[in-house]
Amino acid sequence: MNLARAVVGRILTYVVFGLATAFFAVPLLWLVSTPFDANPGYAVHWPSTFTLHNFTTLWHNPYAPSSIENSVLLAVGTVVIVVVGAALAAYALSRIRIPGRDALLYVLLLLSSVITGTAAMVPTFLLIFQLGLIDSRFGVVLVLSGGLLPAAIFLLKDFIDAIPRSYEESARVFGASPLQILRHVVVPVARPGLATIAVWTVVQVWGTFLTPFILLSSTDKQPASVLVNTFYTEGGSPNLGLISTFSLLYSIPVVLMYLFAWSRYGFRFHGGIKS
Amino acid sequence: MAVEGLTKEFPGGVRALDALDLSIADGEFFALLGPSGCGKTTLLRTIAGLESPTGGSVRIGERDVTALAPGARDVAMVFQDYALFPHMTVQENIAYPLKIKRQPRAERAHRAEDVAAQLGLGGLMPRRPAELSGGQQQRVALARAVACHPSVFLFDEPLSNLDARLRLEARTFIKRLQRQLAVTTVFVTHDQAEALALADRIAVMDAGRIRQVGTPRDVFRRPANTFVANFIGSTPMNLVPGEVRGTGIAVAGATLPRPDGLADGEPVTIGIRPEYLPVLADEQDGTFTGEVSIVEHLGTSSLVTVDVGGELLGGVVPEGEEPDQGARVWLRPMPGRVLVYRAEDGTLVA
Amino acid sequence: MGRPRLTPTDLAAAPAPPPAAAAKPSRPARPITDVVGLGRPRAVAFVAPALALIGVFLVFPAVWTLYIGVTNYRLTGAAAKAPSFVGVDNYRTALSDPAFYHSLWLTLVFVLGSAAIGQNVLGLGLAWVLRQANRWVRRLIESLVLLAWILPSSVVAFLWIALLDRDAGTVNELLGHTPGGTPWLVAYPMTSIVVFNIWRGTAFSMMLYSAALSSVPPSHLETARLAGSSTAQTLRDVVLPHIRRYAVTNTLLITLWTFNDFTPFLLTAGGPNHRSEVAPVYIYNTAIIGGQMGYSGAISLIVLLINLLLALVYLRAGRARSRS
Repeated sequence: MNLARAVVGRILTYVVFGLATAFFAVPLLWLVSTPFDANPGYAVHWPSTFTLHNFTTLWHNPYAPSSIENSVLLAVGTVVIVVVGAALAAYALSRIRIPGRDALLYVLLLLSSVITGTAAMVPTFLLIFQLGLIDSRFGVVLVLSGGLLPAAIFLLKDFIDAIPRSYEESARVFGASPLQILRHVVVPVARPGLATIAVWTVVQVWGTFLTPFILLSSTDKQPASVLVNTFYTEGGSPNLGLISTFSLLYSIPVVLMYLFAWSRYGFRFHGGIKS
Repeated sequence: MAVEGLTKEFPGGVRALDALDLSIADGEFFALLGPSGCGKTTLLRTIAGLESPTGGSVRIGERDVTALAPGARDVAMVFQDYALFPHMTVQENIAYPLKIKRQPRAERAHRAEDVAAQLGLGGLMPRRPAELSGGQQQRVALARAVACHPSVFLFDEPLSNLDARLRLEARTFIKRLQRQLAVTTVFVTHDQAEALALADRIAVMDAGRIRQVGTPRDVFRRPANTFVANFIGSTPMNLVPGEVRGTGIAVAGATLPRPDGLADGEPVTIGIRPEYLPVLADEQDGTFTGEVSIVEHLGTSSLVTVDVGGELLGGVVPEGEEPDQGARVWLRPMPGRVLVYRAEDGTLVA
Repeated sequence: MGRPRLTPTDLAAAPAPPPAAAAKPSRPARPITDVVGLGRPRAVAFVAPALALIGVFLVFPAVWTLYIGVTNYRLTGAAAKAPSFVGVDNYRTALSDPAFYHSLWLTLVFVLGSAAIGQNVLGLGLAWVLRQANRWVRRLIESLVLLAWILPSSVVAFLWIALLDRDAGTVNELLGHTPGGTPWLVAYPMTSIVVFNIWRGTAFSMMLYSAALSSVPPSHLETARLAGSSTAQTLRDVVLPHIRRYAVTNTLLITLWTFNDFTPFLLTAGGPNHRSEVAPVYIYNTAIIGGQMGYSGAISLIVLLINLLLALVYLRAGRARSRS
């Protein structure tokens, strides 16, 4: 009886695995097969004629390469602001007792989850409009930074909390000034945390759709996330070869960054879940 | 070094240091000893300048350093976790204080080499702290403190991060080093054996106050109050209540000679270490008597707990002479080793 | 603005107060002192830039929603140049607007179906089952699930558009209905976006529950096994109590994220005929397409309040449970 139970259990488990694999894999397969297909279609199938022609077509498309460039600009701009801003703030919040600190952090974190682009979409648009930053990538960078900073500060503060204070105290007793301590001791030791925040920010910005969609009107300033959408919503039948190839190339950097972050730091910002 | 009327109060009313007065001689190896929470680390950190006192002053040499920043006090501190910068090599770590003092690179390197050699760290210069053993890390931390030629060394529980055997070796090492360098050293420990072994003088602290200052001998032989008596010594001291009666002190069924300075009928506490209370099999005068409750083997001797009229007294017997459980034995205190304390405030009478 | 994709390990600790750092054995906790002598003024200066950006570009717009909601601001026309104060008119309109309620209802279905139930159950289920799986199977499935989450939203949206295409999509092909099969996105828009979102977001729950399950002490599981519990009983009696806190945190986060997720727009644009117009899409349609900024602002605020309410409910639930 128990054996039968075990066997049935085993079979069920494998069925579950099979279904899960299929469910998650099938939509993805299109992305890896279609760019190499001379006759791209909607269905997933082995490329009837293998070709790399789609990639050259993409290169010659007027907007595609520059949109990747825009994505990079947005990512780099946001990373610089977020990493520097979050590092300074997280350090101060970690080391100095500022009144209302814990409450502030939780409110900020909650805010950044609740006030997402859609809820504040209208006023954000109007604010940028009033600032004269509509259709400006810099405006997008500012808005994105504002949205990502709370979580970045929260995560980085946790990380800095874990750095023993004795390093800084030791340097202080040896006569180092606060700035020297930051430069010689804190930043080098906090480097993994800073790098992780940087990677996380890049990934967020790379895939963000709504903010650039609302705030940028000229096609040549739009990042790839918006352009992909434009390719298939524009009138007429979508160019599947173009879309699939562009999507594939656009997705690769993100996947690489995740792999990099995972292998290097294993997604652990601090000691993991404390229960 | 001296500390006068030093008080440190934390927000919330916690008095970590309570009007302390202490003076330490030049070149002395001074221990701050006490249970956790007694304020010893706070005192050390206040001397270093990492905490600012609520009242009182700190003097190092001729200077009043109370208002000075830590870096300006000319002290070097070794933390419990050594605080070796993980991203710097051993050499960079040792040379760090000199870098802050803006010594030119060649001089720094030279000095670091010298100090490293002095502490037996010769070939380890290019390594990172993570690649070193615990003992080596400790010596690097010491080297870093030595390199900057301070007037005072401050050690915060220097040995507690080492495992037991290493600790003994490191103990001897530190004592020799300090003798060589002849720099005033203050160190914090909760281990009374360590304090007794290392220090020239000890301050025993409790709840922000100093309970006794003295040489290891003083503190061991003549603890000034029952707190110190209880704290010092690897086996707990026997502390038994008694009462002054007539020409003697009645305690646990026996009578001990009465010292001067006590009133009739005054309650006292008698203190005697088990090591000074041999357990005898035959009846003797002037002894305690009772039945054996527990025998604990300690190696070359055994600790015998005896039920003396309701009080549990500990005494020792040499190896091989352990009495049976329940047997009647006599405990005879060695002359000159009995301590008499006033019961109400625990202070030493004689 | 994309939702911040924080990893489960970081955020599971988020809503509950951070536990005190592990104290060294014999040391009483000391109040935090200024270790580097930074001083309060400089510390405030450090925090200022970040707070300024957050204040201007995150908090201010949120607060401004309050103001816009009481005007008749429009993108074009007279009211664009000189919006006038209309008091609670917009709110009154919103609260009596069937389209708004319809949108809220759709959002509720979307959130419950795809997040609270869908991602939660699938995430937990996968985490549970994968614990005993062979290493390669586990790696494969986890990678696939994660890939679905990692890829940019515009890309996965199109992947599903392709998948569900009426004439040539893989689903219809597998069902043998090509050409002329079911136009899933048009005929069953809500179902499509619910399934899509389950596919898209399960990764977060799976990772979180995976970490949660590994924190259940093996000795507890073994005790249950020795006592003869079945899998269901073990789940109920040993596992669920331990992971309750994680479950609350997880559900809170994915609820908020799904509530405000704009991605369905990329699939159906709210159509056909408003049949999949979840709240974010409705706001977009009224504001940018319809140009009614004031009205849209009022709706935004209501949505924001609903979010805050949900957050409070969950936090209260989480705290009450942990106290008991």
